[in-house]
Amino acid sequence: MIKALAEGLSVTLKHMFKKRNTVQYPEQRREYSPRFRGKHKLNRNEDGSEKCVGCYLCAVVCPSQCISLQAGENEQGKRYAEWYKIQMGRCLFCGFCVEACPVEALDMTGFYEMSCYGRDGLVYEKKDLLVPEIDSFVKTKI
Amino acid sequence: MTEFIIIMLVKMFVIFGAVMLTMTYITLAERKILGYMQIRPGPNRVGPWGLLQPIADGIKLFLKEDIIPDNASKAVFVIAPAMALIPAVMTIAVVPFGPAVTIFGRPIDIYMADINIGILYIFAVSSIGVYGIVLAGWSSESKYSLLGGLRSSAQMISYELSMGFAIVGVIMLSQSLSMVKIIEAQKGVWFIIPQFLGFAIYITAAIAELNRTPFDLPEGESELVSGYFTEYSSMKYAMFMLAEYINIITVSGIVTTLYLGGWHGPILPPFIWFIVKLFAVVFFMIWVRATFPRFRYDQLMTFGWKVLLPASIVNILLTAVFMTVFGEL
Amino acid sequence: MAETKNMILNMGPQHPSTHGVLRLILELDGETVVKLTPDIGYLHRGVEKLGENLTYHQFIPLTDREDYIASLSNNLAYCMTVEKLLGMEVPPRAMVARVLLTELQRIASHLFWLGTFGIDIGAMSLFFYTFREREQILDMFEACAGARLTVNYFRIGGIAKDLPEGFEKQVRDFIKIFPERMKNDYERIFQDNKIVRIRTEGVGIISKEDAIDLGLSGPLLRACGVPWDIRKSNPYCGYETYDFDIATGKVGDVFDRYLVRMEEMRQSLKIIQQALDRLPGGPFLADDPKVCLPSKQKVMTEMESLIHHFKIVSEGFEPPVGEVYHSIETPRGELGFYIVSDGSNKPYRLRFRPPSFVNLESLAKMAEGKLIGDLVAIIGALDPVMGEVDR
Repeated sequence: MIKALAEGLSVTLKHMFKKRNTVQYPEQRREYSPRFRGKHKLNRNEDGSEKCVGCYLCAVVCPSQCISLQAGENEQGKRYAEWYKIQMGRCLFCGFCVEACPVEALDMTGFYEMSCYGRDGLVYEKKDLLVPEIDSFVKTKI
Repeated sequence: MTEFIIIMLVKMFVIFGAVMLTMTYITLAERKILGYMQIRPGPNRVGPWGLLQPIADGIKLFLKEDIIPDNASKAVFVIAPAMALIPAVMTIAVVPFGPAVTIFGRPIDIYMADINIGILYIFAVSSIGVYGIVLAGWSSESKYSLLGGLRSSAQMISYELSMGFAIVGVIMLSQSLSMVKIIEAQKGVWFIIPQFLGFAIYITAAIAELNRTPFDLPEGESELVSGYFTEYSSMKYAMFMLAEYINIITVSGIVTTLYLGGWHGPILPPFIWFIVKLFAVVFFMIWVRATFPRFRYDQLMTFGWKVLLPASIVNILLTAVFMTVFGEL
Repeated sequence: MAETKNMILNMGPQHPSTHGVLRLILELDGETVVKLTPDIGYLHRGVEKLGENLTYHQFIPLTDREDYIASLSNNLAYCMTVEKLLGMEVPPRAMVARVLLTELQRIASHLFWLGTFGIDIGAMSLFFYTFREREQILDMFEACAGARLTVNYFRIGGIAKDLPEGFEKQVRDFIKIFPERMKNDYERIFQDNKIVRIRTEGVGIISKEDAIDLGLSGPLLRACGVPWDIRKSNPYCGYETYDFDIATGKVGDVFDRYLVRMEEMRQSLKIIQQALDRLPGGPFLADDPKVCLPSKQKVMTEMESLIHHFKIVSEGFEPPVGEVYHSIETPRGELGFYIVSDGSNKPYRLRFRPPSFVNLESLAKMAEGKLIGDLVAIIGALDPVMGEVDR
C-alpha cells in the first residue's frame, strides 16, 4: 500500500520537470489548421471585382438563418450582392455556407477574436467581410 | 531590564513580520508548485514569476465588500475568525528557529521564548483554534456552513488525540517538554530514525488538523461549497486563510523540531538549516495535495479512531520497550 | 417534545462539480440520503422541434450540440439513420474513416470523463494529464474538419471532405504514445491508490436485473456483467469486420465502471490501428446526385452538377414515406434516432433517444440509502451530459 502511495507521488514529481505546454496568450498564439472555421471572408477575382454573384444559396442553407443579402446588377450588367450581412451572434460556424457557395466567393479564415461591446458590433457588413486588397485567385479546395 | 524589553520587542516584530511575509509567499509557492506538477506555469502575470501575486490578493481582499448575513448572530460571527487566527499566531512564539547568535556583542536566541513546557503549550493553544471553526459554522445560519463546521470540528478533535500520543515517544526519548532541549537531544541521531512510526502518524494527523487534502472533505467536497467559511467575505475570510497558512508554518516547524533534528546540520549556519527543513516539510504537504484524492467523511473518522490512535499507542509501547532494553539514549 | 424532520438540501443547478446543470433535491437524514429527486430541463433548447423546420442536411450541426463531449458520435447516428431511411450505401473509404474518427472520439470522451472524475474524487492532477492527450486528438479533428468540439464532419452519404495530408502520421504518433501514457500517468496515480479504492469499491452497486429493467446501456450496463455492446450485437458501419473485445465488469460498482472505460480506451486503440491499416482509396461521398453535394470542380464546370447543387442546397431531398430507428454505441451508451418522414423535405418527427437521460433514472436507485459523500462519486461514474439529457 505504501508502494502505491509512493508511486503516485513519483508521478506528480516527475511531471514537475517536464516541459509545460501552456500557450501564453496573448503574447503567443496557437497555430490553427488551414481548414479552421473562423470568421468569414468574401473573395475577389483576379481583376479586383467581387466574386459573389448574389445567388442566395448561403442564406438558404444556413441552419440559423444568419446571412442576409440583396442581389442587384452593377454597371457592367453583372449580378452582384448590393449589401451582404452576417449576424455573427447567431452563426454556428458550421461551414455550410462555404460548402454551398457555387463560385467559391465565401471562405472561412482562421480569425476568431471577434469580441465587442454591444450586440450591434456583431453584425458584419460587406465592408467587414470583403478582403481589402486584390486577392489571388482561389484554387479549388478539396 | 530595559535592554531585555527592547530585545524582546525587536525579536517580536522581526519574527512576526518574517512569518507573515513567509506565509503570504507560501500561498504563491503552493500555487506555483501545484501548477508545475500539473504541467502548467501557475501565476506568472503579476510581476515576474508571479511574485507580486500575494500583494494583489491582499489588496483584493481588503477592498471587497464585507457581507454579514441577516440572520447571523453578529457578535459571534465577527469574533469567530479572530478565534481562529489568534491561537495560530500565539504558537509561533515557541518555535525555535535557531540557537543563540551573537549580534552586537550580545547572544540573542532566534526564538521568542523557551518555556519548559513548550510542546504542551503548543497543543493547548492550537486546540482553542477549533472553537473558531465551530462558532463560524454555527453563527453563519446556513445549512452548508453548519454541516461543514460540525464535520471539521469533529475531524480536528479526533486527530488531535493521535497527534498528542504520537509525540509522547519523542518526549520519552528526549526527557523534556521544552522545544530547545528536544533539539539539543537530537545531536547524535535525528528522532525520525527511532520514531519513524511516530513521524508517519504525526504527519498524517497534522495534515488532518490543517484540513488539507486528503482530509479536506469539510471544505473541498462539492456538496458543501466552502464548508464553514461559505458566508465569509473580505477581511474575515482573509483571517481564516491567514490562520490556515500560519498553522502550516507552525506545524512544519514542529515536525522539524521533533523529528528532523531542528537546526542540526553540517556547514551551513543552523538557522538556515531550520528554514530548509521547514520548507521541505511544506513542500511535502503541497506534493501530497497535488496527488491524492480525498477521503469520505466516515472513512476519515474510521481512519482516525481505528487506525491512527491504536498505532500511536503501539508506538509508545515500542518506544518504552526500546528504551528499557537498550538503556537511555 | 421536538420533532425531527429530515433536512432538504438542494444540490442546485450551479455547482462546482455536477456535470452541467443538474439539480438534485436531496432529503437527508444526517449523512444518509433518504430520497433523491432529479430536476432536469435547465438546458432544454427544443432541438427536436427545430428539426421539424429544417431540412435533413441542415440538421447535422444541431446534432453536434446535444452530446457535446462526443459530437462525432451524434453526427454518425443521425447520418446513418437518414441513410437507412433512404436505403443508401456509403463508399468503403468513408466507412473506414467514420469508424476511425468515431473511435478517436470515444477515446477523447473517456479522457474527458477520467479527468473530471478525478477532480470529483479529489485527485486534481489527473485532469491535466488526460487533457494533454485529449488536445492531441482534438488537433486531429481540427485538421480534418476545422473545429474541435462541434466537429460537423459527417454528411449524409459519407464525410464532408477527404482526410487531409499528414493525418495518418498524426494518428500513428498518437497510437505510439498513448498506451504508455495510460500505464505510467493515469494508472499509477489513480488505480492502485488505496484512497481511490476505498472511495469507489462497493459504492453505487446496481444488480444485473435492475440494470436491464431500468434500460441502462453503455459502460454502466457492461460494468454489471452484461456483455451487451451494439457494435457486436447489431453491427453497423463495418464493425463486424474488426477484431476487438467487449469490456465487462463483475460487481457493478464505481470502480468497475472505471475499469470498463479504461479497457474500452485500449480496445478503441486496437480498432483505430486496424482501421488505419486498411484505409482504402476511392470516393469519400456517395454518388447519389439527389442527396450528396457534388464536388466544387464539377459544380464550376458541369451544368448538371450545378443544377443538382442548387436543388440540394435550397430544397434538400425528399425521402420515401416511412419511419426508421437506428442506434449506435456512443461513449455513454445507446444513442438512437427515430425519424418519421411524410415524403417532404423536412422530417415530420425527429426523436433523439439520449443514453444519459435513461441512465440518470437509475441514480435514485443507486444513491438512496447511501451516504452523501458517495453521491459525488456515483454521479461522476454515471457520466451524464446535460446537453443530451435536456436536448
